[in-house]
Amino acid sequence: MKHLTLPLTRADVEGLELGEMVVLSGCVTMSIGLPTHRRMVELLDAGKPLPVDLRDGAFMHLSCYNRERPDGGQEALYLNPTTSTRYNAYMPRLVEGAGLRLVGGKGGLDEASVQALQRQGCAYLSFLGGGCALLSQAIRRVVSVHWPEEIAQFRLLTLEVQELGPATVAIDAHGNSLYEQLRARAMARLRQERAAQVLP
Amino acid sequence: MAITSEQITQLTADLYEWSLKKIPDDTHAALAAAVPRETNDTGRKTLTIMLKSADAAHETGGLVCSDVGIPTYSVKIGTRVQFEGPVRQAIVDGFARMVARSDPPLLKMVTHPLTHVRGHAGKDMPIVIFDVIDDADYVDIICAPKAMGTGRWEASTNFVYPTAQDIEAYVLDTVLNAGSQACPPIVVGVGIGGTLDYAARLAKDAVLRPVGEKGGVNPDPMLADMEERLLRAINTMGFGPMGTGGDTTAMAVHVDYAASHGFVPVVVSLNCWINRRTRARIHHDGRVERIE
Repeated sequence: MKHLTLPLTRADVEGLELGEMVVLSGCVTMSIGLPTHRRMVELLDAGKPLPVDLRDGAFMHLSCYNRERPDGGQEALYLNPTTSTRYNAYMPRLVEGAGLRLVGGKGGLDEASVQALQRQGCAYLSFLGGGCALLSQAIRRVVSVHWPEEIAQFRLLTLEVQELGPATVAIDAHGNSLYEQLRARAMARLRQERAAQVLP
Repeated sequence: MAITSEQITQLTADLYEWSLKKIPDDTHAALAAAVPRETNDTGRKTLTIMLKSADAAHETGGLVCSDVGIPTYSVKIGTRVQFEGPVRQAIVDGFARMVARSDPPLLKMVTHPLTHVRGHAGKDMPIVIFDVIDDADYVDIICAPKAMGTGRWEASTNFVYPTAQDIEAYVLDTVLNAGSQACPPIVVGVGIGGTLDYAARLAKDAVLRPVGEKGGVNPDPMLADMEERLLRAINTMGFGPMGTGGDTTAMAVHVDYAASHGFVPVVVSLNCWINRRTRARIHHDGRVERIE
């Protein structure tokens, strides 16, 4: 198990290997809102800064229940990943435009995103879907909440976490995707099975 | 005696809450049994993390998954049961009661299909399917919240005079398409025949069949063979736990069929590794029997 502390250098991320398990400490920014992704990309396209400086940082597809406390402070009760492929259209622009080192969620990203990850020197982490109880233990505090007009999980939220994970390095910074490799192998194995008439 | 609306409201609220905070015992056992069989190191570790997380949710009263999905209820009413007050409204009220009392609070997942506006409730929520059980004096209710991880990858098609091979190839293509994204190891339910809506219902019932010994081998040998072939083929694919590699891509494949015309609808229903499902009966004397 590798311990990663944000922010990360390009060299740190290039040292991560496919299938390796990591835990993550530091500031992690997250949202599962499509409107949030759209807004971030619009800001980048307009040459304007994002509300949070994400350079050398992490942006994750984690849904989080966060709310204002009675004393005016913010609290986050739990978090959990969602399927990243829903955001394929926005991720290449976001990864390179924001200067990210880590992205993540579950289920992976498409080929265009994998290429952007490679160009940028950024890796993708697979968190446990349905891992709410375990992953939430890492929450330390809410650092910032932007776009509070959105529902909780759509806000641009930055949390300080300690040892978030474990997560699996599923797309590395060298253009290798576990998802692509597994899909290709699955298709080949199915063809083999059919050819061998194990399957009809 | 009659079953009251309040009893139904209370039970449907409880069923929804139980389903969000604990994975079914048979599913826990199936995941635990897969650990020593799993030959892929990442797969084995991921299965262990799954069990650890599920246990933590159970012990702390937390949610297993933040995507609480949309609640679906399968309600089978014994024909000897009498009701005092409304039934459908009581279930709607149970859903609202659960949302209002939930600790921790639930994220908004119910989404208007055209505007994408999200809330805790919406038109036709929760989804309730009614059926009857002849001569029984109880109401049997299964709650199975459905989230996006697997809901997105379920599929249906319509064949004309298909062979069993055509149907099996379709099931495998559906699972291949879901690949790493449906939070495997999954449970696969297949409904064949009838009409399209009926095939969907069969598939849903099939996916909710208990996993492993409790679910038993399909009494129809033709279907039992199909289930075995499909399970072996799916696990040969190698997606593994959470789709990051391994031998354990599915925990079970359950198939059911109905007679049909020359057109044969096929529906493939999927559940993720947490396999949310709770079940209970309200007997006509008011006794609540929790089954799962």
